[in-house]
Amino acid sequence: MAADIFLTILTVVFALMVVFSKKTVVSAFALLMTLLSLAMIFFQLGTVFLSAVQVLINAGAIAILFVFVMMLINLEQFPNNREKSKVKLVISTFTMLVVLGVFALVINNNIETLSVVNLTDNSMKALFDKLFNAYFLPFEMATVLLLAAIVACIVITTHEKHENEEELQILKTEEKL
Amino acid sequence: MLEAMIEILLKTVVILALPLGALPLIIHVERRGAAFMQRRLGPNRVGPFGILQPLADVAKFMFKEEVHPTHVRPFFYTAAPMIALVVAILPLACIPVAAPFEAFGRTIFPEVFRSDMGIFFAFAASALGSYGILLAGWASNNKYSMLGALRACAQMVSYELSLSTSVVAMIFLYGTNDIHVMIAAQTGYWFGFLPKWGVFLQPVAAMLFLVGIFAESNRLPFDLAEGESEIVAGYHLEYSSMKFALFFMAEYIHMIALSALFIIMFFGGYSLLPGMELIVERAPILLAVLQVTSLIIKIGCMIWFFVWVRWTLPRFRYDKLMDLGWERLLPLGIANLIVTVLIVYFRNQ
Repeated sequence: MAADIFLTILTVVFALMVVFSKKTVVSAFALLMTLLSLAMIFFQLGTVFLSAVQVLINAGAIAILFVFVMMLINLEQFPNNREKSKVKLVISTFTMLVVLGVFALVINNNIETLSVVNLTDNSMKALFDKLFNAYFLPFEMATVLLLAAIVACIVITTHEKHENEEELQILKTEEKL
Repeated sequence: MLEAMIEILLKTVVILALPLGALPLIIHVERRGAAFMQRRLGPNRVGPFGILQPLADVAKFMFKEEVHPTHVRPFFYTAAPMIALVVAILPLACIPVAAPFEAFGRTIFPEVFRSDMGIFFAFAASALGSYGILLAGWASNNKYSMLGALRACAQMVSYELSLSTSVVAMIFLYGTNDIHVMIAAQTGYWFGFLPKWGVFLQPVAAMLFLVGIFAESNRLPFDLAEGESEIVAGYHLEYSSMKFALFFMAEYIHMIALSALFIIMFFGGYSLLPGMELIVERAPILLAVLQVTSLIIKIGCMIWFFVWVRWTLPRFRYDKLMDLGWERLLPLGIANLIVTVLIVYFRNQ
């Protein structure tokens, strides 16, 4: 029990560090530590496979790409341009409260049915049986969501490039004039 | 409860002490091996055959002045070597040195962390290996260090892919993640003389894995992270005395851990070397001892192979390294994986 509480506090502290740290690389490493402490929580619950996959994929591959890119483009040379406006603060607080309220409702009403992974049988077979039979649709929906996110990323970035090019062309024509 | 704790503690001490104790020996073998390849004598003055030279080196590292540059990021600069070493030691926790045996009225598993997914855990731990290097390069606040770290990281991430395809192929083939079951499947002989080692079943996967080890542990011909002719010393440029020694140790322990995993999957792990069965038939009590000996001999051969390759092949150019990883090894690994999956599928039907 003490270990659970310790790990939970650790995860939350590192997750807060990701958001509130001033240095981007420190944020990236806090993200890594969040992922690792999540893996430790999985381990504590007895799902060794999940924790190993968490370390292997999230910490070993995805977080390293974050850190890599942040080091490569050296974000420290850009000033911290987070806008501080009261409207934003109010809206974000309100949204957070709503989300927390929804979570509280869901957890309160389904406390028994929420234990999705049957912890007595945590073999890979049982896990993937659940994933590909019982929860096939949500699982596939998650992949579609990821795909949508990738497409959105490409659209957003190329759009910006376009605008820049147009601006450049406008600038060039102005220079010619 | 107390017994279990003592057992875990003892295992941890042994698993830690074995590679750390072997380190000076390995470094000595490397130096003498280099001398042997280059037709010179090498360190042979301290003790018989120069065997005490590593001790002298350790003493030097300990008492050397520690230069702490002023332009570094202090917290990460100090943390990086520790992270590198700890992460390198982690995979050793799931590597068994012998088959489970009965002693003191209970079954003892000779690995620190017993799990039926040991192989997954070991690879997860070794996947974190690049963080120490990346952190060192960034914290040093030096262009050469940064370049070395970025090179190391890109190289490790790319070669991890082809390495993983070969691991997945082997997991499919044996149908298990349990290291003990994997090794049990490799015990015995085909046609009475050929050991049932995975390397004869999957030579392509073995080759991919072997190349992967060299890239993962940043050894020549893939030591572009250090590349002294281009970027001085790479990620450990700003480190001196014991901090540098920690990186050095991390590299060698990473090598030992990956060699042990290679041996588990392709050379039968702790299964007895050919000929040792004759001794076991006469004295069954020696089984565990002989298994540990077999594993140590196999790892020793791997280490010698590392030294051999290091002083034989020149360093790759960086673009050629990336070409090899992404355009040659990865397609080969995926093709091998698909063929293996098909064979296993039709065999099981």
